Amino acid sequence: MTSEQILAEIREANLSYLMLAQTLIRIDRDQALFRLGIGEETASLIGTLTPAQMMKIAGGNTLLCRFRVDDDLVWNLLTSHGKGAANDGVARLHASILMAGRHQEAA
Amino acid sequence: MRQKSILTEARQIERAVTLIHLGARLQVLESETDLSYERLLRLYKEVSGRSPSKGQLPFSTDWFMTWQPNIHASLFLNIHEYLNKVAELDEIDTVIKAYQLYLEQIGAQGLEPLLSVTRAWRLVKFVDNGMLTMTPCRKCGGHFVTHPHEIARNYVCGLCEPPARAGKGRMAGALQLRQGQDEAVGRAMATLS
Repeated sequence: MTSEQILAEIREANLSYLMLAQTLIRIDRDQALFRLGIGEETASLIGTLTPAQMMKIAGGNTLLCRFRVDDDLVWNLLTSHGKGAANDGVARLHASILMAGRHQEAA
Repeated sequence: MRQKSILTEARQIERAVTLIHLGARLQVLESETDLSYERLLRLYKEVSGRSPSKGQLPFSTDWFMTWQPNIHASLFLNIHEYLNKVAELDEIDTVIKAYQLYLEQIGAQGLEPLLSVTRAWRLVKFVDNGMLTMTPCRKCGGHFVTHPHEIARNYVCGLCEPPARAGKGRMAGALQLRQGQDEAVGRAMATLS
């Protein structure tokens, strides 16, 4: 991948992310806070972005969204796919509970 | 006599309809809206096309302590707490929105929603009046529904250490657990230390 391609891909991902975030915020603001893991103020901001603003923000060499899983425990639960197919459901549910419990990031 | 606002009433009807669609019992609607019993009954029949179930609501906290219900209840309550922290909503709306997110999450994982909206509502009430609470698991740090007197230092959740008979049921959409789950969590833990 050339650096030009990389920039294009990043812009694409950023734009998709911003558009989805805005749609979610407009459909149900409160649930969007949970889905996106963002705070009230950020949500207001994203909710009112114009397409032109989005285009501008999306350009750049860094991604606007980041991983919400920041520890090995949840990663291991999420990636146990295949290892024990039978217990997949349990591991994913466990991961969901752990992730839903993290509201510090948004507050 | 209190002036009845039509707007408020419209909001309440909308709320009641959402709750009926989610499968709430009539007692939930009675407690969460100011609409009369007769109107609620009519609304219920109109929306769901049948008469509401009769009888007492489940009132015991024990159900929430059994293995699978506890996992479902804990997922719901974590979502509920999340919304409680980040969004400013009326209490019943927090329950509705959290329950919708719970249904979504459970459905996405191909499981049956064990927790009914009535039970979810009940759970929030139990937590409000101190009959149930959330305790962090000593191993994974996740918050799970427990009795209030649980000793936090020793508490381990049902997912880190499933009880002997857990996950042996053959019900469709139920969690299945075979040998190896302990190892999976063990592996996850090992990488932490």
